[in-house]
Amino acid sequence: MSDWEPKIVAFLCNWCSYGAADLAGVGRMEYPPHIRVIRIPCTGRMSPKFFLAALREGADGVWVSG
Amino acid sequence: MGIEPGRLHFSWISSAESTKFVTVATQVTEAVRALGPNTRFIQPPLAEVA
Amino acid sequence: MTSTTAILREIAARLLSSGAVEMVIGFRQGTIPMMNEPCFVRKPDEVGHLVWDSHCGINLANYLTDRKEKIGIVAKGCDSRNVVTHILENKIRREQLVVIGVPCRGMADKRKIAMKCPGEILRVSETATAITAEGEGFSRTFEKADVLQHNCSLCIHRNPVIYDELAGDLVEEQQGVDRYADVRAVEEMTPERRWKYFEDLLAPCIRCYACRNACPLCYCPTCFVDESRPQWVGKGQDPIDVRTFHFLRAYHCAGRCTDCGACERACPVGINMRLFTKKLEKDCRELFDWEAGLSLEARPALDQYRPNDPNDFIR
Repeated sequence: MSDWEPKIVAFLCNWCSYGAADLAGVGRMEYPPHIRVIRIPCTGRMSPKFFLAALREGADGVWVSG
Repeated sequence: MGIEPGRLHFSWISSAESTKFVTVATQVTEAVRALGPNTRFIQPPLAEVA
Repeated sequence: MTSTTAILREIAARLLSSGAVEMVIGFRQGTIPMMNEPCFVRKPDEVGHLVWDSHCGINLANYLTDRKEKIGIVAKGCDSRNVVTHILENKIRREQLVVIGVPCRGMADKRKIAMKCPGEILRVSETATAITAEGEGFSRTFEKADVLQHNCSLCIHRNPVIYDELAGDLVEEQQGVDRYADVRAVEEMTPERRWKYFEDLLAPCIRCYACRNACPLCYCPTCFVDESRPQWVGKGQDPIDVRTFHFLRAYHCAGRCTDCGACERACPVGINMRLFTKKLEKDCRELFDWEAGLSLEARPALDQYRPNDPNDFIR
């Protein structure tokens, strides 16, 4: 599969990494387009269920960031 | 679990660290790209009910 | 009748007639051999039902969840650790309980015994070190050590950790047990190999949830497998659904499982799902120096933040 590009689900904490992503956008910085962001209220909301659910729905990778 | 460890990443980025966000996003993408498509745990979509 | 049985009955009768408890939870003889069942004694003249032998593997802490009355509970080592976990998780109050501790020498694995017998077992008797199974035209005697449940042969907490009454003398704990040989073997596999290994391990699963129901930790009002919005896991026997169920069930037990073996014992198809919970138990011990249910004072590993918690996995 030559045209395959990874699909990554990113669970970002509202107050930390989501803010960083926002700032990166405001600063017009470039980063890979493979990330699908899901905002969670806090990394404490993360659950093993989400990881498995993401894989089951076809994600190639999962990134959890607080 | 039989899932490659490189498919799950954790990081800690404050809301001021947009450069770190970009760095880690790139690293994560490259790590997953190196592993190739995920073949395990994927569930075939349910058949549409007519 | 073993002497432990006699002491148990005596204690239960005393507690019930003095009004110290309203109910004693113990074991009684099951309808078929080697299948003792839980028994709830409410009147002093019913204590004759209570028994104690090598077939009391069910974890009685399972029956304490959210009870309101005063209860006397018969507890071997693992049960008592689950009682502690229940108290820590506010599923019962310590003041409600009279823990009748029973120092345990391990429970027999009914499958191991049945496999070694040529026909249906109709009677079972035991001495301190041997178990005799009899059926139509045969009689076999086994060393108890040879037919122990796997988790019992690896047990390092045979004596109850909390008790108010004690039925019998404390036993010597097993020393130098290598608890994690099987977990290490799986850890050393490559992801591909491990995926295949779990596929084979879980292939017979029929999703009966007996492991969940037998487990004293599984008391959620709505289990994640029964949730439909969102539906985390399909209800069929799809291998991915089966795997999701087993992994998530194990994760719910992280830092709480006492390796009582109730899940494996309850499984009708003989899956060793203790492998998953034991992996988490091993991690908890190595990363947080935590063993579940040993003390009423300490907070569980996943319940408490410590500045020196390991965080090497975070970038």
